[in-house]
Amino acid sequence: MKKALLLLVALSFTLFSLSANGGKETKEEKKAAPAAPKLIAAMATDVGGLGDGSFNDGSYAGLTKAQADGICEARVVESKQMTDYIPNLTGLAEDGADIVFAVGFLMADAIIEAAQNNPETKYAGIDIWVDPATAPTNVLGISFNEHEAGYLAGIVAGYMTKEYAGKSDRLNDDNVIGVVLGMDIPPCERYEVGFQAGAQSVNPDVKVLQAVAGDFADQAKGKELTLAMINEGADIVFQVAGLTGMGVIAAAQEEGTLAIGVDVDQYAAAPEAVLTSAMKGITEAAYQTIQSVADGSFKGATNVSLGIKENAVGIAPYHNFDSVIPQEVKDAVNKAVADIQSGKITVPASRAEL
Amino acid sequence: MEFVIELLSATMRLATPIALAAMGAAVCERSGIVNIAMEGLMLIGAFFAAAVALATGSPWLGLLGGVIFGGLFSLLHAWSTVTLHINHTVSGAIINILAAGLTRFFMVEFYGHPGSSDMVQKTLGDLNCAVPLLSKIPLLGPVLFDQSPTVYFMYFFVLFTSFLLNRTKLGLHIRAAGEHPMALETLGISVKKIRYIGVLYSGLLCGFAGSFLAIEYGRFFTEGMTGGRGFIALAANVSGGWTAVGSFVAAIFFGFIDALQLKLQVMGIFKIPPEFFHMLPYAATVIAVAGLVRRSRPPADSGNDFSIEKEM
Repeated sequence: MKKALLLLVALSFTLFSLSANGGKETKEEKKAAPAAPKLIAAMATDVGGLGDGSFNDGSYAGLTKAQADGICEARVVESKQMTDYIPNLTGLAEDGADIVFAVGFLMADAIIEAAQNNPETKYAGIDIWVDPATAPTNVLGISFNEHEAGYLAGIVAGYMTKEYAGKSDRLNDDNVIGVVLGMDIPPCERYEVGFQAGAQSVNPDVKVLQAVAGDFADQAKGKELTLAMINEGADIVFQVAGLTGMGVIAAAQEEGTLAIGVDVDQYAAAPEAVLTSAMKGITEAAYQTIQSVADGSFKGATNVSLGIKENAVGIAPYHNFDSVIPQEVKDAVNKAVADIQSGKITVPASRAEL
Repeated sequence: MEFVIELLSATMRLATPIALAAMGAAVCERSGIVNIAMEGLMLIGAFFAAAVALATGSPWLGLLGGVIFGGLFSLLHAWSTVTLHINHTVSGAIINILAAGLTRFFMVEFYGHPGSSDMVQKTLGDLNCAVPLLSKIPLLGPVLFDQSPTVYFMYFFVLFTSFLLNRTKLGLHIRAAGEHPMALETLGISVKKIRYIGVLYSGLLCGFAGSFLAIEYGRFFTEGMTGGRGFIALAANVSGGWTAVGSFVAAIFFGFIDALQLKLQVMGIFKIPPEFFHMLPYAATVIAVAGLVRRSRPPADSGNDFSIEKEM
C-alpha cells in the first residue's frame, strides 16, 4: 500500500515536471547543439505558461529567434503558481544562465530578490518597472506603451461601431464597445485607457464598458462578461485577459459580434470574429536584450519603455476585415501613428490621466 | 425584466458545471469516499471533450469522450482509496496535480504547445434548443427552458441522483456504505463495489461538467479552465447537506452570486473596486458553508477507510 502511494506520487510529479519543463526544450536543444553558443538565455514564464498565444509565447519566440541566429542557447521554465517565481528565477541562474527573463508584471518583486541573490547573472523583467534608485545593477525593466497600441485599436473600434455600423452585420447602431481585463494591473490598465482614449478621439459619445475577470485562465468568466456586454449593446469587445480572453473571442464568434485580440496577432483563433489585435513587440524586445548582453552593452538598474516611437507596439493586420474597414479608418490609424511618433499626441497611460 | 432574465440565464449557465459535479459529489461522499479530486476529473473531462470534438468534428462524440475519460480517471481515485486504502484527501490532491500535469503533457503531445487548443468549430452550445411551449412561460421559460443541451442534462441528473439515492436499492446500499459499512458487509454486499460505483458516478459527472466547460460554454480547451469549480461543487454538496436537491440549490446560489458580480461589473452601476466583486462568490461559499453546515450532518463513515479483513 505504501509502495503504491509512493508510486502514485512519483508518477504524478514526474509527469508534472516533465510537462512543465520538457517538450519544447528538448527539441530546441537538439537543434542548437551544432551551433555551440556561448551565451545561455533563459526565461521563467508567468502562470499562464507557454501556449498563451500572448506574452509568454512572445518572449519565448524572442529567445528562440536569438538561438536560431546562433547568439544564445534558449531555456525556459514555466511557473505553475506565484510561489514558483523566485525558485524558477534563482534556479535558472544557478544552472548557468547569463541572462534570465522574468515575464509578467506579477514577477516584479521576485525578480529583484532573485537578482540580489545572483549578482553575476543579468535579469530582465518584461512588463516590469524597476526602481532605478534601489534596484540591483543587474536588473533591467522592460515595459511597453500598451496605451499607444490600445489607442490605435480604440480608433478602429470607435469608428467602426458608429460610422460604419452598416459595413458588417456583426456591428450594431448602439455605439457601445467594451474591454475585458484579466486583472486590474498596470499593463492591462494601459491597454484599457488607451483603447478608451482612442475610441473617444474619433467618437466622443461612445460608451466604453469595462470589467475585470480576476483571472487569466477562466474562459467561462471571459465569455459571460462578454455576453453581458453584448446584452448592453456592445458590438466590439477588446480582450486584455490572456486565456480568459479566449472566452471573449468565443462569445464574439457565437453572438456574431467582434473581438479585438491582445499582445500578439490573434486572428487565427477565430478569423471571422477577430477584427484586429493590439500588439506589443515582446519578441523583438527580448531579442534585442539578448543582443545587448552578447555585445556587452547591457545596462541594469534602469528601465526601457518601448512604444510606437521604437516601433515596439502597434496593431495587427486586418486580415478578413481588410476589405470591410474603410480607407478613412486606416488613414486615421496611420495618422495617429505619425502623431504619436512626432509627439503631437500624448496618449494617457492611466485612469488618472484620462 | 430583461435584466432579470439575462441575470438568471447566466446563473443557470454558471451553475451547471457546479451542479453536475455536486451531484457526483453527493453520491461519492454518501458512499463514504471523500472526493477532492473533482477539480482534476473535470479538467481531464474538459481536455478529452475538446480533443475528441476537434478530432471527429462531432460535439456529441466529444461529450462522450469527456464523460468516459472523466470516469476512467476517477477509477484511479477509487483504486487508490478503496483497494489500496490510501487516505482520501491525499489521493485526491495527487489526482488534481496529476490532471494538471497530464493535460499539459497531452497539449504538447497533441497540439505541439501548451495553453489553449484550436477552436472547436461545432460545439454543443451552438445547438441552443428551446423547449416548445415551456420556453414561452414568462420569466421562468427563457431562464430554464431556453438553454443549451447540458443544462437540461443537469436537470435530469438532479432528479436522477435524488431518485437513485432515496428510492432505489442501490441508493440504499450507497447510503449504507457511507453510514455503516459493516452493516452492509454483513448483508453480504461488497462495500468495495458500492464505493467504486460511487466514485465512478462522480467521475462520469465531472467529465460531463468538464465537457460542458470546454465544448459547450467555451470553444477551446484552455489549461486550468476549471477555475476551482470542482472545489466549489464540493462546497455546494456540503452546504446542500449531502443531498442531490440541496446540492442543486447551493450550486444555483453560487452561480447566482457569480452571475450577479459579473453583471454588476459590466453595468458599472456601483463604483466599487473589482476585487470586491471577485470576492463575492468565495465570501458566499464561506457564509453558506459556515451557516448551513451546522444543520447538515456528513455521512458517518465518510472519509474512513473500510476493509472487511481488518474488521473481522
